[in-house]
Amino acid sequence: MNAQKKYGMSIDVDRCTGCGSCMVACAVENNIPPAHAGANDRNGLTWIRVYKVDNGEDYPGKRSAFIPVLCQQCGEHTPCASVCPQQAVDVDPRTGIVGQMPERCLGCRYCMAACPYHARYFNWWDPRWPAGMEKTLNPDVAPRMRGVVEKCNFCHGRWHAAKQKAAAAGKSEIEPGDYVPACVEACPTGAIRFGDLNDPSNDLRHPDSFRLLKKLGTDPKIYYRSKRDWVRNVAQASRPVSSQKEASHG
Amino acid sequence: MTTTRRDIFKFAGGSALGALLTPAPWRLITDTALWSENWPGIPRPARGEIRAKFTHCSLCPAGCAVRARCVGEQPVSLAGVRGGLCPFGVTGHQLPYHPARLRQGPVSEAMAAVADAIAKCGPGERVAVLDLRPGRTASWTARRAMAVLKNGWYIAPVQSPVAVDLTKARTVLSLSAPLLERWGTPANVFAVRDGFRLIQADPVESRTAALADLWLPIRPGSEEALALGLAGQLTSAETAAMTGLSEHQIESVGQTIGFGRLSLVIDRAMSPAVVALNVKLGGWGRTIVPRAEAPVPPEWKKAAPVTDLAAVPDRSIRVLLIDESAPGEYLPWDAIEKKLAAGNPLVVVFAWSANGYGRYAKYVLPTPVYPEATDDIPPAIDSPAPCFRIAAPLLAAPAGVVTPSEFIASLAGLPPADALRERARAIHQGGRGTLVTYADAKSVPVKEVKPDDFWKALNAGGCWVGQALPPANFRAPVGQALPPANPSQGLVVLATPPAPSPASPLFTKLYQESDLLLAPNCIALHPQDAARCGVSAGNRATLETPNGKWSVRILTDSSVRPGVVLAARPEMASASGKVVRV
Ligand code: SF4
Ligand code: SF4
Ligand code: SF4
Repeated sequence: MNAQKKYGMSIDVDRCTGCGSCMVACAVENNIPPAHAGANDRNGLTWIRVYKVDNGEDYPGKRSAFIPVLCQQCGEHTPCASVCPQQAVDVDPRTGIVGQMPERCLGCRYCMAACPYHARYFNWWDPRWPAGMEKTLNPDVAPRMRGVVEKCNFCHGRWHAAKQKAAAAGKSEIEPGDYVPACVEACPTGAIRFGDLNDPSNDLRHPDSFRLLKKLGTDPKIYYRSKRDWVRNVAQASRPVSSQKEASHG
Repeated sequence: MTTTRRDIFKFAGGSALGALLTPAPWRLITDTALWSENWPGIPRPARGEIRAKFTHCSLCPAGCAVRARCVGEQPVSLAGVRGGLCPFGVTGHQLPYHPARLRQGPVSEAMAAVADAIAKCGPGERVAVLDLRPGRTASWTARRAMAVLKNGWYIAPVQSPVAVDLTKARTVLSLSAPLLERWGTPANVFAVRDGFRLIQADPVESRTAALADLWLPIRPGSEEALALGLAGQLTSAETAAMTGLSEHQIESVGQTIGFGRLSLVIDRAMSPAVVALNVKLGGWGRTIVPRAEAPVPPEWKKAAPVTDLAAVPDRSIRVLLIDESAPGEYLPWDAIEKKLAAGNPLVVVFAWSANGYGRYAKYVLPTPVYPEATDDIPPAIDSPAPCFRIAAPLLAAPAGVVTPSEFIASLAGLPPADALRERARAIHQGGRGTLVTYADAKSVPVKEVKPDDFWKALNAGGCWVGQALPPANFRAPVGQALPPANPSQGLVVLATPPAPSPASPLFTKLYQESDLLLAPNCIALHPQDAARCGVSAGNRATLETPNGKWSVRILTDSSVRPGVVLAARPEMASASGKVVRV
């Protein structure tokens, strides 16, 4: 019998440069197409999105930080799972991962309304890649059709691959290094770390860490860290955006 | 009992309502959803044997080690070997399919035209190669070819003669160098980031400034003045006047980085003033060292010297071959253009996309792109030791593309030879250094490796690492006090750190589906400046600089210094720009 896992992440905001590697690595891994011509920041598909936030001051007092936000893999009261009429969302008791089954999704978008983290995305367009680029699609993940909702699932295809590898080696447990989501692997600064929150040997749930919108009691499995007080305060706002509609430095 | 029409309607209505309470309609909806999941228009990922291949990313001078996950021969994802890759590297395997990719070009026509123009060169007229990524083996081939042509010239952006050793630094003062944004090799920089205090002097709150321990908002263009001030060549008062910092701030930085404190000062290109400051701080041989190159075969030493574009006489180049197959530093076109001979000079550009200098050229010849191209990547600026690593191709290049060094070599009649292999042989014969292989994470002295195995390992993504030069050989360049730049007329346009262009179409995630990066067609300015120019966020406008005019979309950002415009395209950078609403 496998020990029950509770996969989660620790994101150190003070290490994130906002480079965007995690965002594009996620798109590569999960066969998320480039933006449709009509897409924008409200209707695009970004399972992980790095928000630029600031302390609300003006130059030169202004200080910025980058907060990667993905599905927070809510625990006890998973808002999206509880509203889905199709049971297209479920929490896997073996891993704690909140899964999304596009095959069952009707596209009603109740889950999007319920998600307090804006971490769900609707496919407004058919998935399209520039000619030839579909050759680079990941064979472990099926592209989704227009009309369904999707979101981060901690690169579930990688979890399956790790399971298969363990089974082939006659093991029931996967090696921790064999299951690492794409964003974690891609992050050049090491800002995102991943592991089993039940494993006492890691410090993912460091006492200094905080979770987004803690007051809602959704028991997220993504833990953030920052030494900057203003960053910790911004993380409790309903949508972590900067004080104005702005550009970031490329 | 008679059945009335009303009964029939009641039955039909009741049945319809009742059916809604059965699973049937939901089943229908679910089946429709399932069916639509397999819509014939949805691309199907290819299947095949999964394997890992190793190479080096050649998209920027960092040359990160890469592990590619391939389905059969097709790379489907790229990951770093010693740490994560930047977003350009992560999506590099998609570049061969970029809509802007060039696949065909008039190669033989261009060859004939170049040969003809060389033959007709007048007295004093030159044939020149402009190499945007010098130091590669391909660069050596171009230099050798230009040495054979009696009027040949090899032009390249000036390379810093030094490399930095971040592992030795306790404090790093960065003068607008994008240290955390691909200035060095990301894996090296972030591996030692916790070991030094970072002070970032930068006119804008760049990504590096945002994560620095201290950000000093200096005036644009005053980096060198700060270096000279800290070296004692300007007084604190003069430095303060030029940089916009207070005298107290300057003195405090001076104390922090004081002599013998293992401090390192960097700027974008490690200019002579910065090197001289490092020497003064006692960093020579510790935090900065001479930049060492991998050995080359002795017969290559007869190559043409590297000439800086500024040193080329105006109106002297009759034939210019620009190699932008490997992304490198951007040189403004007007600086290049004034070196061209009057009256129909011939410009040939080698590029994989139509985005660069191609618009100024008579011929644009398509080249392989990473990860199709076979190239080597010279040691990065943060590599104190020489190294030799090959961007081994993961994909076959399409028919119709041309390798610039082969084209240039054939012009000079150099025998076709595998220059990379020749160089690998020379390195192996030297017998020094170690061979690092990523697949098995081993490091073996070169002496213990057979020549063929050495070559095979390099092509399988291995890397040769040599030894840094001993301190006795060091000779520090001398910094000169340059006059401060004139105050800008209008807005100063600064470009974000140089980046390979165009990037994968997936970059739309970063600037279209989110606001993380500045899009190529956008500029950001402080809200006060925007108001002064009569524009607001989202407006279309024209950016006018002495280099040209661009149609742009406006973003306002109060972290941008008033008086500064931030642009993503290097060609927009200028000391004086104007934003005009359209
Ligand atoms: S973050 Fe949103 S999508 Fe993710 S589990 Fe919570 S409610 Fe569901
Ligand atoms: S890859 Fe890492 S550093 Fe870059 S944006 Fe994502 S979390 Fe931040
Ligand atoms: S930093 Fe440069 S070499 Fe490294 S992955 Fe990015 S583009 Fe490639």
